Amino acid sequence: MISGGIIVGQYYPVSSFVHSMDPRAKILISMIFMIVLFLGNNFYSFAVTGIFAVLAVTLSKIPWRVLIRGLRPIVFIMSFTILLHLFLTPGEAIFQIGPLNATWPGLIQGLFIGLRLIILIIFTSLLTLTTSPIELTDGLEDILKPFSVIGVPAHEIAMMMTIALRFIPTLLEEADRIMKAQMARGADFESGNMVQRAKSLVPLLVPLFVSAFRRADELAMAMEARCYRGGEGRTRMRQLSFSAKDYYALGFTIVMSALVVYTRIRFGPVIPKGPV
Amino acid sequence: MPIEVKNLTHTYMKGTMSEVTAISDISFKIDDGEFVGLIGATGSGKSTLIQHLNGLLKPSSGTVLVDGVDIWSKGVSLKQVRRKIGLVFQYPEQQVFEETVYEDIAFGPRNLGYSQTEIEARVETACRLVGLDTELLSRSPFELSGGQVRRVAIAGILAIQPKVLILDEPTAGLDPRGRTEILDNIKQLHETGMTVILVSHNMDAVARLCERVMVLEKGKLVFDGSAREVFAQREFLESKQLKPPEVTILMEKLRQRGWAVRNDVLTVEEAYAEIIKELPRRGVAGVL
Repeated sequence: MISGGIIVGQYYPVSSFVHSMDPRAKILISMIFMIVLFLGNNFYSFAVTGIFAVLAVTLSKIPWRVLIRGLRPIVFIMSFTILLHLFLTPGEAIFQIGPLNATWPGLIQGLFIGLRLIILIIFTSLLTLTTSPIELTDGLEDILKPFSVIGVPAHEIAMMMTIALRFIPTLLEEADRIMKAQMARGADFESGNMVQRAKSLVPLLVPLFVSAFRRADELAMAMEARCYRGGEGRTRMRQLSFSAKDYYALGFTIVMSALVVYTRIRFGPVIPKGPV
Repeated sequence: MPIEVKNLTHTYMKGTMSEVTAISDISFKIDDGEFVGLIGATGSGKSTLIQHLNGLLKPSSGTVLVDGVDIWSKGVSLKQVRRKIGLVFQYPEQQVFEETVYEDIAFGPRNLGYSQTEIEARVETACRLVGLDTELLSRSPFELSGGQVRRVAIAGILAIQPKVLILDEPTAGLDPRGRTEILDNIKQLHETGMTVILVSHNMDAVARLCERVMVLEKGKLVFDGSAREVFAQREFLESKQLKPPEVTILMEKLRQRGWAVRNDVLTVEEAYAEIIKELPRRGVAGVL
């Protein structure tokens, strides 16, 4: 399967503290966490956010290997970022490759950014791993609702997301099937240079698009046949409600944020000179 | 080009929570020129099994031998295996992508590196085999009717000129006429000496065309024998969520009413002969 390794958008069904939280609380905490993660500008702040993330993972009962597998797709981007920082930051040299200087500040900054990315991916994938797509979009719709006064189509956005998430596995399966059908006709998706490989995707992408449009058409028809007419006045089967654990979690998140702000003021940036 | 499968097992998503064993411990051998029907309820593993025969899926355990060679052993080109064993997927019209019918049928032979003249000859032969009007070659496949596109897709496989042809539900979603035509084409292909494996829920078609039938249930091969033998066993088939062809059921009902007709009848013609033979004995003489 070509879907191997991508875990964003994959729900991991076990019962845990995090799984049973209100999706709105989880979305809010994730947003706060992201902001705080980028507020943190030294390794002490990472100690705080890191411990928070480890704690969240432990409470979620998601095995670490699942999360680590989810990091695989970003290994390339991460190494690229670290290398760029290593060679392009001025400072005391460690070693030289041709005209490029690897510097100590570059190494520290590269590691810093890499660590930030790892924590970011782990924590955000936790949101989709512990929240089913339905809960997620319900929560998102609720959070966006206040913005509908300024014209944000909250319900429509949530519905679009539900549909998109719903069709990811379907389209992956379809891509897999079409790929096999073309391989049965001698198509080769694996060898050749970049141009040849890009070209070899045409027999996959054309049928995939054709079928995606057909599916969209059919879905629209089926929704209309069941009298769907947008969000106004629609009731929900499951009502969302905040419980004690959601307040605890939010409270704890605020404490964590305060700690990060403290480390930022107390210790300053990881490399004193220059922006981080 | 005999195909031999030994203790084949395939497990999807091995090592995860959603691990599913689609087929387990399947062994059989298909010789040259056979016409094999593969039947079984939805989810019994038919599609998984056939995808092993041309190396699209790798067995979790067990081997697939084509011409006596394990296709997953070192140095075997899967492309060459797929050149010999053509697989037509279910709803194959969903795989067409080229601008013209000609280009789409030529996709296979082009991938295999044949010359322009050879490709042209192959496209023409393939069209003839599936009864496709050569005037359609310059049209866009997206303009054609369902039955015609299906034919284009099957021609796309035939243009590879495989020795073995595997078809997954080739008649699904076609109108009765399209169905008959496609099945007749398949029959003719078999008569030219091609080995054919037909996966289908259409028991009438399987009974009419296949000499040998394999029955899958929950990933296990539960029957492998002659079509006549299996279709006479209504209870066995029903326990596998299958049922015999309509004419066979008719014969059974007649027998229950005391008619001395055979119960292993597979086609309308055979049923007709049996009934005609029995009529005088039941005092209905001179009908014809």
